[in-house]
Amino acid sequence: MKLKYIPVYTADFEGQIDFYTQKLGFKVTGTMTFYEGKESTVIQSDKLNVALLVTNNDGNSDKSNIIINTADCLNDYHVLRTAGVFFCKSPAYLPAGLAAEFLDPAGNKFMLLEERNYNEQ
Amino acid sequence: MDYSKVLRNNNKIVSRTGGQRQGPQYTSDLSLRFVLNGNERYDIGRRHLSIYPDSFLILNRGTQYSTDTDLGQQVQSFAINFDQQFLQDFKDCWTFDNDTLLSKGYGNGKLQPEFNETIYPFAGDIKYNVCHLKQHLDNGMQDEMLINEYLHHTLINYFHIYNDEICKKAEKLDFLNQGTRVEILRRLNLAKEYLYSNYNQNISLEDLAEHACLSVNHLLRTFKQAFGLTPHQFLIQLRLKRSLMLLKDTRYPVNEVVGMVGFECPSSFIRLFRTHYKITPLKYRQSA
Repeated sequence: MKLKYIPVYTADFEGQIDFYTQKLGFKVTGTMTFYEGKESTVIQSDKLNVALLVTNNDGNSDKSNIIINTADCLNDYHVLRTAGVFFCKSPAYLPAGLAAEFLDPAGNKFMLLEERNYNEQ
Repeated sequence: MDYSKVLRNNNKIVSRTGGQRQGPQYTSDLSLRFVLNGNERYDIGRRHLSIYPDSFLILNRGTQYSTDTDLGQQVQSFAINFDQQFLQDFKDCWTFDNDTLLSKGYGNGKLQPEFNETIYPFAGDIKYNVCHLKQHLDNGMQDEMLINEYLHHTLINYFHIYNDEICKKAEKLDFLNQGTRVEILRRLNLAKEYLYSNYNQNISLEDLAEHACLSVNHLLRTFKQAFGLTPHQFLIQLRLKRSLMLLKDTRYPVNEVVGMVGFECPSSFIRLFRTHYKITPLKYRQSA
């Protein structure tokens, strides 16, 4: 088994796809129908091995919390901010490492996490 | 890789490889000095400090110093000099709220920071951030916004370390007067940096106490209060930690490493190593 899809729901489908493709570097790779009459768009990024399923919400207000692992949080924070992503939390130190957070237009929360080993000898 | 980069806001970053002596000079700004490979000696007044990859040195503005390395040794050093205005802005961002920063009277106070010029541990977040920055610069990255982001975070990391190593340790000292606590800790740091710099020599308690300008009894009592270890325990831990670096990064036989970190007897080194890290030196080298 492996984790393959993360669903995200949006009222503004076009805006959501634009955000993912233009600012986060995702590519639309196809569509998929999970439920009768409801089509989702599959988007993927070369850097992530999980796909996002973008679906019109039709009243579904579920929000996703997605943690993206990064090797260099400050660098990726800077790259995304330069691309126009608004971060609701700038890089801060957690017991797990360095993390920054941003929201997509539908309010799904993304965390950029650079895990750090503080017990290294 | 050798380069010297001056940013538009006058922050300066210098990377040097290879051993070379540099005569007496003054720091123009607050400066953090790292050694990523080998070791570098700093002479500051009567103090002789050796910086290894597990520690870094801070120099205040205007400090006179000279540096040297062992002949033929490959040394990789990295220095960050923070411009006064950058430092002032950083401090203001953490001290004042947005309204104060935007108000008319803001900016009248001038910062003249004086940090405890001693050796600090180079580990955790500051190590991650400095190594990321160096890697970017080695690859030719020119984006000053990003470089300053790293420098900003390096200062955040440094202030955390300062809080842990100076403020919290001073609080542990059993003296009522705050001024006495600060002065005793300053002297204890002289002892600590002496251990850091001469860890592979025979160090007597008398030498250490004299270097710290404390009596032997006073040193023993206060050192344990501040650092939670006796000077001897501190030295043993430091030697073991540095043996890890030698086992991991070099091919010296274990018996030679024993002498290089200041132990006299291989069997006691192996016993201490195994007690401390739950693995023998040889197995550690094989797994590293």
